[in-house]
Amino acid sequence: MTTFRLVDLPLAFNSELATQLFINGLTLGSLYALIALGYTMVYGILRLLNFAHGDVYMVGAFVGFGILHLFGGPLSPNIAVALLITLMFFGAMLGSGALGVVIERFAYRPLRDAPRIAPLISALGVSFFLQNSVLLLFGASFRSYDSFLLGSAHPEQFVPGPLSDAVFVINGVNVQLVQILVLATSLGLMVALTLLVARSRIGKAMRATAFDREAAAMMGIDVDRVIASTFLIGSMLAGAAGVMFGLLFSQIFHFMGFLAGLKGFTAAVVGGIGSIPGAMLGGILVGLAEAYATGYAGGRWSDLIVFGILIFVLLVRPSGLLGTRAIQKV
Amino acid sequence: MKGRTGTIAALLALSAALAIVAAASATTNRAAAPTATVGADKALINCGRTRTLGVAAPITGLAASLGQQQLKWANYFVTRYNRSHRNKLRVVSGDTQLPDTAQAIQVAERFASNSQILGVVGPAGSQEVQVSSAPLRSGGLGYVSGSATRTSLTTDGTRRGYFFRVVPNDDQQGPRVANWIRNSVKATRVVIVDAQNTYSTGLADTVERLLKAAGINVQRETVSEATVTDFSSLVARIPANTQVVYVPWQVSSKAQLFGEQLRAAGKTARLFGSDGLFDPDNFKIPNSLISFFPIDLKSSVIAAYRRGPGGGKSDLFGLPSYAAADVVARAIDKACANGNATRAEVRGHIGRTNIPKKQSILGFAVRFVQQVRAPLGPGDMQRPADFGIYRINNNGAYARIG
Amino acid sequence: MGSSGDNPNLPAPPDEVDRPRVGVDEWVAQVEERRDRYTGLSGLARRIVIGVPVPARLALFVAFAASLPLWMGRGDLFTYGIFTLLYVLLGLGLNVVVGFAGLLDLGYIAFFGFGAYFYAELSSEHYGIHWSAAASIPVVVVATALLGLVLGIPSRRLLGDYLAIVTLFFGQAFVVFVNVGNPTVAGQGLTGGPNGIADIDPLTFLDDELTSRAQQFYFLLLAVVLVLVGLHFLSESRTGRAWRALREDPLAAEAMTIPVKRLKLMAFAFGAGIAGLAGCIFASVLTAVTAGNFDLPLLITIYAVVILGGFGSLTGVVLGAIVINVSFQFLAPENPQGNARLLFYAITLLLLVLSVRPWWRLGAVVGGIVGLGIVIQLLVEAVAPSWTGGPVVEGGRLAGVVQEWVVITPPGHGRFGSFAYVGLVVAILILTRLRGWIRTVAVVPAVYLAAVVWENSFVEQPAVARWILFGALLVTIMTVRPQGLLGTPRVEVV
Repeated sequence: MTTFRLVDLPLAFNSELATQLFINGLTLGSLYALIALGYTMVYGILRLLNFAHGDVYMVGAFVGFGILHLFGGPLSPNIAVALLITLMFFGAMLGSGALGVVIERFAYRPLRDAPRIAPLISALGVSFFLQNSVLLLFGASFRSYDSFLLGSAHPEQFVPGPLSDAVFVINGVNVQLVQILVLATSLGLMVALTLLVARSRIGKAMRATAFDREAAAMMGIDVDRVIASTFLIGSMLAGAAGVMFGLLFSQIFHFMGFLAGLKGFTAAVVGGIGSIPGAMLGGILVGLAEAYATGYAGGRWSDLIVFGILIFVLLVRPSGLLGTRAIQKV
Repeated sequence: MKGRTGTIAALLALSAALAIVAAASATTNRAAAPTATVGADKALINCGRTRTLGVAAPITGLAASLGQQQLKWANYFVTRYNRSHRNKLRVVSGDTQLPDTAQAIQVAERFASNSQILGVVGPAGSQEVQVSSAPLRSGGLGYVSGSATRTSLTTDGTRRGYFFRVVPNDDQQGPRVANWIRNSVKATRVVIVDAQNTYSTGLADTVERLLKAAGINVQRETVSEATVTDFSSLVARIPANTQVVYVPWQVSSKAQLFGEQLRAAGKTARLFGSDGLFDPDNFKIPNSLISFFPIDLKSSVIAAYRRGPGGGKSDLFGLPSYAAADVVARAIDKACANGNATRAEVRGHIGRTNIPKKQSILGFAVRFVQQVRAPLGPGDMQRPADFGIYRINNNGAYARIG
Repeated sequence: MGSSGDNPNLPAPPDEVDRPRVGVDEWVAQVEERRDRYTGLSGLARRIVIGVPVPARLALFVAFAASLPLWMGRGDLFTYGIFTLLYVLLGLGLNVVVGFAGLLDLGYIAFFGFGAYFYAELSSEHYGIHWSAAASIPVVVVATALLGLVLGIPSRRLLGDYLAIVTLFFGQAFVVFVNVGNPTVAGQGLTGGPNGIADIDPLTFLDDELTSRAQQFYFLLLAVVLVLVGLHFLSESRTGRAWRALREDPLAAEAMTIPVKRLKLMAFAFGAGIAGLAGCIFASVLTAVTAGNFDLPLLITIYAVVILGGFGSLTGVVLGAIVINVSFQFLAPENPQGNARLLFYAITLLLLVLSVRPWWRLGAVVGGIVGLGIVIQLLVEAVAPSWTGGPVVEGGRLAGVVQEWVVITPPGHGRFGSFAYVGLVVAILILTRLRGWIRTVAVVPAVYLAAVVWENSFVEQPAVARWILFGALLVTIMTVRPQGLLGTPRVEVV
């Protein structure tokens, strides 16, 4: 593949490292943003922290893996790589979406009027259930998308596939095709979501329900359907994120949802929970913070630095970056 | 119920509680409580036709990918044993859920109380051995681990006769690796990345110390192997002129990922893995080096495992657990020769294990050290148990080079 | 709900969904419960638990617990006894923060860890300090309470879920600090890094070492009783009432001149202090602590204990800890699988008895299940004999019966168990949507499928099955009884 040299100016500080970290952080951050969107949308409507969301993301990754192997596997695919990846996305989004709707129907709807902390435990139960079901069905070993060798002409000689080809070179740093793919897809999905929420009827219904559920019900909006749609859309985004994770990092396993869900939840809260642009911003922020902290400080203090940054943000703006100060009704 | 009645009743309940505690502690201080397992190691167990051994491994949770390999190999040994022996073995498994050692100690207590268990395979992690020592000792059980490599577990002498391991320890592996890097690879710039767990930091510290003493430039990094999948920022920290990156990790899939990201970033450093990464199915970065004990990769047992429970994979991380189960099974056989056995007898036979090279899946004879002889301690395997160096060539195959 | 049927001119009462819910009012929400109180099995159970006065409950609990070491084996005493009490203690502390004061603290386990590590520093080989427990425990408890106070300071500005995130960060920061940070103090790593701190002294009081499990159990019981009594009085006091007001409506509480900020700090401090105490005992029982002991899985367990029991209720926390730990330990793979199988069949039968009425229908269902099983087994034996006849894992006396009734595939048909499992999940979900006689008929193949999944999948992987069942149990309990076992149903503001 031809590569394009974009910017090659030598800058004063070590801009190669900074640029590399920026790209890493942006890619990772867009993944977190997609997961955070699911959290934030559900919270906006139900005031519920859906701790099973991370596991929906994990199931999406496994569905993508299943489709990958349905068509011959990463080392010898039966169909064109581009088509295969598209199918993986669609399949994962469908599977995750369906799972999200089912979870809402059975684990959250009966608790709609319960104190807010009850669905938390129900969500945790669902999370245990999903994680260990996958463990039961697929076993504990890591499953690999083998994205480094995906679609390679000579996989047995460790010749990289098209996904790790450098498409751009910025400041001496390679930007891989898979990173462009992830960034473009997440951007596209986020734009689609924003348009959906702002322009379409169902989006209007969602905004109304998030604002005041009782009033929306009185205006004739089918609240149950709206809530189910919210879960559907949020879970579809998580499913897409799962496939992206597989394409970026190859290795999927049953516990990955727990870890990513934590990051996504953090991103949603830091950006202002309940706010969709907030979730996107929060995700990018968490991704960049992680990349820069690890890159400059190393793995020993990076986690603590990230926590420090995020706590600082929350102390300065207690309702998150783009969150609205909750009006307290007397 | 508030007010005085409640207060009086509460105080009564409190005094009752204190009285019970005082009485109980009086009795349990002097005499062994009926629940204690004093004398458990001398208690005669009727062997019968089916003998029981316990397998402690992290079957669920963060380290499930490692523990399930160990369990599968231990079960595989039992399957093969049962095919060829008149008396049968059965396995009782315990889920130690690494890294939460609270589960490991519960498993150890349960095993100690289970009057049928004669010997234990496991636990997997060095910190798990730490917490399991007291319960297993008071239960009189001998335990053989397939992956706990912290040197002090044997060299401090406190577990003599109880703890054994069928893998060489960190102080055997570290110097071998350091020597190879210094003498054979002749590297001058090395990066060591530890995985923030007890196995990894032990090896990393040893190798770092030895390389620095030889004047080699060593940069130390750390990453949380269990939770991180995006190594790209770590990769960015590795200088382009690094020759060797030493990765004493345990999850081969993560190391593969790290290697791929290293390649994708255009860095040419070679990876050097420790025995935890020896996995031809998952870790295949060409031109990498790995230290492992010299097993026969073409062994029929491994091939049969691949066809059977492995489902196409070799799961070599769990291979030592097969050997551990072998050790325990032979000891049980010897102790049960006269129909019944005590746990102390089984322990004694484990200590006197002598598996000839031809019958050992590990590639060398298995005999245990009895005294402290640095770097070996009681419970370590005697020489020739040592490490070999392997190289991964371009098509992913492992070849022994040292 | 039948009283308005008397006068046919009145409109029918609004059904459940449309009834407006007004105010945060426990009494209103409890009306239904009071009506149901005297009916049925659950009503009886509820009456028994609530009817017993609090001091008597405590005495019964203590008497039962004190008797455990006399008949339980050492392993069981450790897993069922000591760990249940540890969860009770932690649950009580969390209950102060979450249940009394309504603050969502997701970093609570860090206090537990801090207490454990600090005790380990003071009473172990690590720095060679060997304080007796009488000295180190008070110091640790006070220090942990101070840490709670410090953590509480930023919490005053934060509401609800933002507090959750900040406390979550603190919890994670503690784990990372202890595992990786490990600064060098006085010549060696403060926290021991990934190796943690080992060789911790057992609890020592005046040269008396508590080394046997029974001794440790009694000490823990004493601690639990002290904390229970203390919290009871605290909850009945002005502070407790102020906390409850804070929980229900912080704004109204502030308007009534309740010092909200100070109360939040107090809640954090008390909760942290209790966690510190639990940490000391935990460290001395385990004799070695590492970072992995204080991570999110334990936090989730303690939250489940508090919420399942009905947060705010002390008896509920005790009950919640018992339910969660006992069910979790009972299904442990170290236990003979025959026991779990018996439990499985017993519970299935119990559920059928409770939900299928009248008795003739119940008989038909059970007969149908047995018959269906035998028929399918015969069919499979005739048509595809290689698919059945597999071994019954640890069958014991039931082995023969189970073999005849359930299709157990021999090894080599691994996929069968997986497909059966997926089928079972779908079947159960569908079953909850059916009504009437269709449901009764559908129960028959569903139960048989459950038995098939049990014998083929779950007994092979008991460690994994345990978590699946545990998760299903949590979801079921919460959907059936959202306020927890002993919580009071609450109605939220419109």
